[in-house]
Amino acid sequence: MVNSGGASSALAPSVTLPLRFVIAGVLALLAGLILLAVRPDILAAYHYNQYVVAATHLFVLGFVCTIVMGAMYQLVPVALETRLHSERMAKWQFALHVIGVAGMVWMFWRWDLKQVGHFGTVVAMGVGLFAYNIGRTLWRVPRWNVVATGIASALFWLVCAVTAGLVVTAAKCTYDSVATLSPVNPLWAALKALQGTANFVNRFDALGVMHAHAHLGVVGFFVMMIVSVSYKLVPMFLLSDLQNERRARLGLWLLNVAVLGLFFTIALRSAWKLAFALLGAAAVALYLAEMRAILRARRRRLIDWGLRHFVMALWLLAAATVLGVVLATSGLPVTERMVQLETVYAWLGIVGVVTFTILGFLYKIVPFIVWHHNYSRHVGRHNVPSLAELYSEPLQIAGFWLFLGGLALAAAGAGWMKDGLARIGVLVLLASLAVFGINLAAMLQHFFRPQLAPLAPAAKPALPKP
Amino acid sequence: MNPPDEAALLDALRAIVDPEIGLNIVDLGLVYSAEVDNGTARVKMTLTTRGCPMHDSLVQGTRAVLLEVPGVIEADVEVVWDPPWDPSMITEAGRGAAGLG
Repeated sequence: MVNSGGASSALAPSVTLPLRFVIAGVLALLAGLILLAVRPDILAAYHYNQYVVAATHLFVLGFVCTIVMGAMYQLVPVALETRLHSERMAKWQFALHVIGVAGMVWMFWRWDLKQVGHFGTVVAMGVGLFAYNIGRTLWRVPRWNVVATGIASALFWLVCAVTAGLVVTAAKCTYDSVATLSPVNPLWAALKALQGTANFVNRFDALGVMHAHAHLGVVGFFVMMIVSVSYKLVPMFLLSDLQNERRARLGLWLLNVAVLGLFFTIALRSAWKLAFALLGAAAVALYLAEMRAILRARRRRLIDWGLRHFVMALWLLAAATVLGVVLATSGLPVTERMVQLETVYAWLGIVGVVTFTILGFLYKIVPFIVWHHNYSRHVGRHNVPSLAELYSEPLQIAGFWLFLGGLALAAAGAGWMKDGLARIGVLVLLASLAVFGINLAAMLQHFFRPQLAPLAPAAKPALPKP
Repeated sequence: MNPPDEAALLDALRAIVDPEIGLNIVDLGLVYSAEVDNGTARVKMTLTTRGCPMHDSLVQGTRAVLLEVPGVIEADVEVVWDPPWDPSMITEAGRGAAGLG
């Protein structure tokens, strides 16, 4: 007889659901890095062109969004002690997401914006399913807390970012057929609405609107998700506690206000964007203060390399925030170098903060998924490996330093507009990804060759020497 | 045959290792009580955190180990949250073994 008295790992979805997102996301990262290695000018030259937009969406939607969505399906039910609303819906969402993103990136590359709109609509349908599925899951959360608030906020900004993206795309298309179609044609009303939307959005500066859309996605969805999920995961891994819930909650709401304000002030190219950038910086400062307190209160002295990835991401978050505040200052000279700083800022945010966090947490999530599927039922019957034994730590450490080096070199290449330097940086990042790939393969190998040993007689750990 | 005492049950439960922390559940301080009554082993245990992803694995494993102890016919494992687990509950030996402060 077992009285479980609360949450259980049975709340997690089946193993194939998050893994398909993880593998698709890693493949998108590989494709993105190969693309940058072949075309380093995407990083080292002015960023408002079709190739940069295509590469950005490959990284942001293909890599980051895919993995974050898969991780959410795994983590939200377990972390918030509830059950995923619908696993079937999540599988449909995966199909829509992969088809939509692949088509969208391809059409951005060709700069066929009508097709971008069509594929973007497929992505949006998937995002709608994702938001509905996680939203319904949150609805059942027995104990609403700061983590649930943050995840709900991130979902809201994701929907806003996708909607803004579709609106921006609609604004770049022409709707000549409105004049030739009969008003009774069922498409006429939709085309008329798109034309009206395009006319409205075209009043704004195109670059400003694109930057505003990017901030909704990266800060609103990714950073918000990192902030909220880390409030649960980091204390759990380090045997610590949230130290000041009021501070955490305040930081979250400041970040929400900052995202909202930044969207409008960036789109309108208003000088007020500095005020909202400072508000965002205050939110990040509160978050970092809380993370520092959680780390200081930890009972596990050793921080494993998965979490060291995350700690590095926190430093990069501080750096990206400072750079963001500087770039939000009005009256900056519009020079090539200054414009490249915007690329460095985006690079630090997407590949620095978000990717470092993802890689770190993947070293927690994937081993857990593999372990849970292969070894959970053997606990107490066989000796099973620990999570850390599913992969090689020396390789993990090598991957960490390669990634950091590649990130810095590519950022320098972008900042100084040196294609060669950017390419070297990206090649180093590819080496880091290869190392991660080897470790990922080692973890997945346990599906085919589980390492079980007869249950050894239990032994008391030796008392430490005085 | 005498029924197994608490020490025997705890010794057996040391075979269950938390896969994330790398320390057995007894020295981790997760087992609050263990006794045998008429062949039924009753264990009250907790987890390091609510929503612990290893919840079912550890609880089912505990039950499996108890059923292997000579003299145990049935096992009753109850997960409780009061008192909540605190790292001060880790044994001194456990602290040294798992690098816990």
